[in-house]
Amino acid sequence: MQEKIKEILTKAKQRILDADSMQLINEIRVRFLGKNGEITALLKSLKDAPADQRPKLGKLINDLRGEVETILIEHEKNIAEREKQKKLKEERIDITLSKNNRKIGALHPLNKVIRDICYIFIGLGFEVKDGPEVELDYYNFEGLNIPADHPARDEQDTFYINDNILLRTQTSAVQVRTMEEQKPPIRIVCPGKVYRPDDDASHSPMFHQIEGLVVDENITLCDLQGLLDAFAQEFFSSVTKTRLRPSFFPFTEPSVEVDLSCVMCGGKGCSLCKGTGWIELLGAGVVNPRVLEYSGIDSKKYSGLAFGLGVERAAMIKYGIPDIRLFFENDIRFLKQYR
Amino acid sequence: MKAPISWLKDFVDIEISPQELADKLVSCGFEIEEIIYQKDKIKNVVTGKIININKHPNADKLLPCEIDTAKEKITVITAAQNVKVGDIVPLALDGAQLANGKKIKAGELRGILSQGMMCSGEDLDLTENDYAGAGVYGILILHKDTPLGADINDIIGNDDVILDISVTTNRQDCNSIIGIAREIAAVTDKKFIAPDLSFNKVAESVCDKLSVEVADYNLCHRYMAMGIKDVIIEQSPQIIKKRLKAVGIRPINNIVDVTNYVLIETGQPLHAFDFDLLEGGKIIVRTAEQGEKITALDGKEYALDKDNLLICDINKPVAVAGIMGGEFSSVNQKTKTIALESANFARDSVRRTSRKLNLRSDSSQRFEKGVDFYSQELGLYRALSIIDKYGWGKIMDGVIDKKQAEISNKEIVCDYSEINKVLGISVDKDIIVDILRKLNFSVNLDGNKLTVTIPLYRIDVDGINDLAEEVIRIYGYKHLVPTLLINTQMVRGGKSAAQKLTDKIKAALIAHGFYETISYSFISPKAFDALRLPNDHALRKTIKLRNPLGEDYSVMRTTLCYSMIKTMASNITRGNKQARFFEFAKTYLPDSLPLSGLPVEEYYLCTGVYGDNEDFYTLKNVWEDIFDTLGIERDYALSDISYLHPGRGAAILGKNGEKIGYIGEVLPDVCKEFDIDKRLYVAEISHKYLIDNAKVVYGYKPISRYQGCERDLALLMPKETPVKDVLNIIRANGTDLLEDCEVFDVYEGSRIPTGLKSVAVNLSFRHLSRTLTDEEINLVIDNILKGLAAINAHLRQA
Repeated sequence: MQEKIKEILTKAKQRILDADSMQLINEIRVRFLGKNGEITALLKSLKDAPADQRPKLGKLINDLRGEVETILIEHEKNIAEREKQKKLKEERIDITLSKNNRKIGALHPLNKVIRDICYIFIGLGFEVKDGPEVELDYYNFEGLNIPADHPARDEQDTFYINDNILLRTQTSAVQVRTMEEQKPPIRIVCPGKVYRPDDDASHSPMFHQIEGLVVDENITLCDLQGLLDAFAQEFFSSVTKTRLRPSFFPFTEPSVEVDLSCVMCGGKGCSLCKGTGWIELLGAGVVNPRVLEYSGIDSKKYSGLAFGLGVERAAMIKYGIPDIRLFFENDIRFLKQYR
Repeated sequence: MKAPISWLKDFVDIEISPQELADKLVSCGFEIEEIIYQKDKIKNVVTGKIININKHPNADKLLPCEIDTAKEKITVITAAQNVKVGDIVPLALDGAQLANGKKIKAGELRGILSQGMMCSGEDLDLTENDYAGAGVYGILILHKDTPLGADINDIIGNDDVILDISVTTNRQDCNSIIGIAREIAAVTDKKFIAPDLSFNKVAESVCDKLSVEVADYNLCHRYMAMGIKDVIIEQSPQIIKKRLKAVGIRPINNIVDVTNYVLIETGQPLHAFDFDLLEGGKIIVRTAEQGEKITALDGKEYALDKDNLLICDINKPVAVAGIMGGEFSSVNQKTKTIALESANFARDSVRRTSRKLNLRSDSSQRFEKGVDFYSQELGLYRALSIIDKYGWGKIMDGVIDKKQAEISNKEIVCDYSEINKVLGISVDKDIIVDILRKLNFSVNLDGNKLTVTIPLYRIDVDGINDLAEEVIRIYGYKHLVPTLLINTQMVRGGKSAAQKLTDKIKAALIAHGFYETISYSFISPKAFDALRLPNDHALRKTIKLRNPLGEDYSVMRTTLCYSMIKTMASNITRGNKQARFFEFAKTYLPDSLPLSGLPVEEYYLCTGVYGDNEDFYTLKNVWEDIFDTLGIERDYALSDISYLHPGRGAAILGKNGEKIGYIGEVLPDVCKEFDIDKRLYVAEISHKYLIDNAKVVYGYKPISRYQGCERDLALLMPKETPVKDVLNIIRANGTDLLEDCEVFDVYEGSRIPTGLKSVAVNLSFRHLSRTLTDEEINLVIDNILKGLAAINAHLRQA
């Protein structure tokens, strides 16, 4: 009988190891361990063995049963794993292929620039203000210390609706409206459309500006430079420098033209900056006390700073866009570049 | 403003290079457009002496000349007949450039090498006026004593360097050589050399012969005049002609030239009248009568009106004030006596007249920029000084000076620390005083108190901020130390709720694959015809620009859809197969026309899609998403909008049934206006409605933990009945148990009776606190089916 046990073990082991599917494993299980299986039969034949050998033989058969079961389970696991791997392998796809070609859209590059700039100033405590585009002469000119006989008011520079109403030529118009409504401290940026009758590669009859205005006690020219440095370094690059040059705007005094260290060459001189290392970016200044007074703000107590930035210009410098008209053609191949 | 450096040197020592000078001017507020080196125009042309003239073996008319340039002897072939041995000529060497930009190269002429070219006056941009002999036909023969081998530029005086300076509108005083020279003196720490204003006078007084009457001092702030008798009209000397040419003015005769010369030098326009042509010994400054006419110096006749300021004698206009003299009263070859005018006309009056008559001159441009009170005397006396110096006439005694009021110097009193308060740095008191004095401000210092007297020509300076600017532009902006609003109050910034909602809507559109567009706010009035809008439609009431760039950009848009259709059309024309666009922009709706107050500016959101995968429903789906995101209740009704497909357009209705926008396919006829045969889909929604009605979510609704139950209904119903009616009935009868219902299939076709359609709806039921039984769901379904029967929707029998 002991030989029989050995023989069954060898046979079972062999069969199990040869099996290569779950089906065969199950068949093996039935054949050896099933109700009518060989090991069960062996157990049944125990009653024919001599009584004194029965316990020993019984143990041997049970050990056999245990060993076969262990090998079976072990091998069953291997086969399951193999089959799973095989299935996964068969499910392989071409991952270089793309389907469902609905792509994400994008803000217009000009509004992207506006958004980015607004975020910089929001971080510094600024509010974002809107104002009318069809505007009264007063807010666009008179209230900004640009009297009726000022050369900036030549008809060739402004779209008029009638003698008193025009399309705003500068977002500075929002300055006066804000100062009439709000008491200092004031910190606002006003992005928006402005209009001037020019049309060529660097001028569009409609374009965008962002106006900035701070009114509070103790505002200085140094604060203006600090603020513009913060903007330039956030918007262009952390190594960008600004340079102030004296200039003139009727609504600021002192007035400055602000240059940017060239974003292409870093100041060494190249074709973008025409060899100077600097690019003219925006106009700014300390708010003319007269403008504060026009809006009912005590210029003895308060002072202010203001700046006005051409959005198209900033975008053209940042992205190297050569022609302003591209912004308004709305060709999707252009818009797609600024996702 | 073009300023030749040689001219500036009359008034200030300049020891630095033109580039350094330009940098200095930029640093104190004067942008330099260009540095023009006159020598750049003519290059590699030298003087040479003809030492031999040979015969050309192959051509009778060509003369090979041997020329000595002091450095070498070369052969140059000429066809000119006016040269002879011993003549000194301008010689363009190999590689030379002539005044007109032409390059000269050595080359063979009929077998003999010509190593350059002899130049004519024209080659060097010279006329007989500029250099005797330059006008002859042929080669320019230079003076006998001309050195050999010299750069021709030095010989003919084409050796200046000119700064083209852009002067800001507040510094009208710097539209002059003297003004710029004053700035250079201040910024380079040199002394300003005042112009010579002295002259001799004869006893006879102009006041006995001429009187001036100014009708309105608001139009003519000041009118000065003096007389010159025994005038000699002749050519100006070289230096005056050369300088006028350098700044782009054509020399005419000494008197005209001197008025122009002084205009450039001092910034004061002058006008010389022939005294004998002024009738009645009187000058009247008055506005024109309607229909009055004058023939100006340009030979054209101008019709005038009451806005135009004139200089008149007792019978006729003799000049358009500040713009141009009359042809019949100006200086001519026979002039013997001159009345020289130096006036200050109001700049807006000059500008308006100049625009209206379309007549411009150096004088009018100067007046438009503004002329100060100080310069009338300066300009007048400077001109008389030059006339006297050259002996072109005898200056008569007496000055006519009519002015509004005596002008006195402005005075600013302040503590020096107030200047530093504007700047934000501490500039030393002595430095401040020193800078102001360099700029010709006189400063009285009493402790920390400054009393600053402003020169008359600095009309731009009238407060502490102006003084601060004067100090820092000379002291240098590099001294500023950047600070971030250090002495201010912190404030609450950020975006408003409406701005945040707008960002949210844009973000949703972008996630749906939309690209934002920006188009012009002005459109063509013809847009409304293209959109098939009826003649009395409200959107046709537009604001018109008075001076548009053209009809296509002449009215402010009242809808965004025209621009959107145009954007889609141009993309299609350029071969872009599909696109999703949105624009967020204002429409401009006038209260009444003509406009009396400001219009209502309202933001709209316009979307446009086209391409193979797009239809009405893809666009509607996007908007449904956005409405859901914002919690906007809405409804759709078939639209009667003229530019939408009659069966595929819908008005979008708000919660009270008000129209808040529309969505639909663009009418094919409208597409044809843009030469497009693709289907376009647009939707335009009121931004204001979205913002005003967006729901902000507060609180929480419990989520059921129990199993739900789904039922599908397959309904047969009349084709025309909108599915919306089915859903409404289902929701109305669904009780609290109905969680959701959705149409998942609509079928019309051969497998069902004509006139009917099959609609499949999925219903999901769920209870918050227990599992549902079939019985209670069946009860609800029965009620729903009863309700549906009322609109002839019945379960489809299998």
